[in-house]
Amino acid sequence: MSSPVTKDARLSQLNPQSTAQVAGHPIHAMLVPIPVVCFVGTLVTDIAYWFTANMQWANFSVWLLSVGLIGAALAALAGMIDFFGDRRIRRIRTAWIHAAGNAVTLALSIINVFVHSRDAYTSVVPTGLILSAVVVLILGLTGWLGAGLVHRYGVGVQAGERA
Amino acid sequence: MRQGMINGRPMIAAAILLPLCACGPDPIDPQTQVGANPPLPEPHQYLLPPMHVSKAVGWKDGETPQVASGLAIKALATGLKNPRSILVLPNGDILVAESGGPNPPVNRPKEIIMGWLERKSHSAETPGQRITLLRDADGDGVPEQRSILLDKQNSPFGMALVGNDLYVAETDAVMRYPYKTGETTITEPGIKLTELPAGHINHHWTKSLTASPDGTKLYAGVGSNSNITENGIDEEKDRAAIWEIDRATGAHRLYATGLRNPNGLTFEPQTKTLWCVVNERDELGPDLVPDYMTSVKDGGFYGWPYSYWGQHVDPRVMPQRPELVASAIMPDYSLSSHVAPLGMTFYTGSALPQTYQGGAFVGEHGSWDRDPLNGYKVIYVPFEGGKPAGKAQDVVTGFVTDAREARGRPVGLAVDSHGALLIADDVGGTVWRVTGARAQSQAAPGPIVR
Repeated sequence: MSSPVTKDARLSQLNPQSTAQVAGHPIHAMLVPIPVVCFVGTLVTDIAYWFTANMQWANFSVWLLSVGLIGAALAALAGMIDFFGDRRIRRIRTAWIHAAGNAVTLALSIINVFVHSRDAYTSVVPTGLILSAVVVLILGLTGWLGAGLVHRYGVGVQAGERA
Repeated sequence: MRQGMINGRPMIAAAILLPLCACGPDPIDPQTQVGANPPLPEPHQYLLPPMHVSKAVGWKDGETPQVASGLAIKALATGLKNPRSILVLPNGDILVAESGGPNPPVNRPKEIIMGWLERKSHSAETPGQRITLLRDADGDGVPEQRSILLDKQNSPFGMALVGNDLYVAETDAVMRYPYKTGETTITEPGIKLTELPAGHINHHWTKSLTASPDGTKLYAGVGSNSNITENGIDEEKDRAAIWEIDRATGAHRLYATGLRNPNGLTFEPQTKTLWCVVNERDELGPDLVPDYMTSVKDGGFYGWPYSYWGQHVDPRVMPQRPELVASAIMPDYSLSSHVAPLGMTFYTGSALPQTYQGGAFVGEHGSWDRDPLNGYKVIYVPFEGGKPAGKAQDVVTGFVTDAREARGRPVGLAVDSHGALLIADDVGGTVWRVTGARAQSQAAPGPIVR
């Protein structure tokens, strides 16, 4: 497990490193599933409310949105620490698009949680539902790009562990 | 549904372009909305609705509300625990319901935030949940006796006396107690006449109560279980209605529906028609929807939740009910938006100036979801031939400081046996007594009925 210092130093120059990490595991990657799952869930329960007008679904939506927002804020914080912690990440164009896209989803979701805090039907239909759908679409793109940062550019990947 | 979609397009554009501001139409002068046929702006749904929750600060020593010229005001009783409504008995004894509602459940994150925002607007005093008796036999405005008539009540609000039966509308039931004239404490347990809708949400918990002039029926106001059906339409069964309860059997029927939160149930003395004041819905803008006073027609539907002020459809309610909306009755008299009327009493006494003869006093608890504030006063609406006639006048004001903190908030009203107007002030913990300016200084002797 313990590699010589010289080998670690050499490998770390190969891959852009995560600054916000626990034992080599990037915190951003650990937190990101929370907003992704919650915001996708919000869209699902919004659609369920749209079809049924049963308030239970709208209540699910606003709780999912709220928890998703907390997760998103923490993930964004960890992501920004990584982004500003290694200039090699900032040299990757994909990283900029990934960050900007997620900033947009965060802003839209903040608006969305206020829309979802209105009372009854117009808390979801149409504005809330449209915002939830737009957020999921953007998340699909930024998620794809984020995976690319790891799998293609090796951001935060500890190559030394496998050697 | 379709209409909502079309309306939604500019809304989403606005939502994206104007994040999180409280932009919307400028508030209009509330006075323009007082009277029949008020102007109604277009509904506007906010991301952050404009609101101002006034902090409860209470009355300092020597402070009182201000009264219109020709009147005088004095505290009849202080140190009460959230006095909410008043009933004057035939012998002149005054009953005060000291009451508070249940803690609302948290169904959405919004309720955590709202609970936190509204906490400061309540009196620090724990509601008494009891009925206190005050006896001011000589009519000098200083009670000689004060006792607890009924203790450990479940959010009591409405009270009515018919013969020797005292009815108390707790939040979940109308109770009947045996009452003997002159009694100051009732020890006998009450008998449940009729259960009222309560449950775990119980959003509007005050149950107003009055008896028909012939004494055969009771009328109970049962408020809605939400602002606008956000707790589900099933939670609204038998709510937003006035119940007619048969005094002999306890059987009930819905006398009128579509009244979001009806309070101040009173029979107009000339025409013997039932009247009430109604708290209308929130979060459609600072000037929607006007609260109102109205005569109540047997079988009448007054709009909530599907529409407001007649046929104005509320887009927040789904499914809609066009056939019910078509039948919605337009209320008689607008009090302007968000004033929160909770008490009403008609005046036929002789202690106040002639100006106040035959019309209705209304206690306006005051707004929270509007900025600038509205309400926080007692007004007088003149009546002619059993109908409102003319502009409402401010009678008791000064409940709010310059810093827009609440010294007190008026709720229930009553007229005592000497003709003085009584005002329950929950935040101030006080019952105020308004007399003619001369009567106050001379402590005019009144009839002592015992």
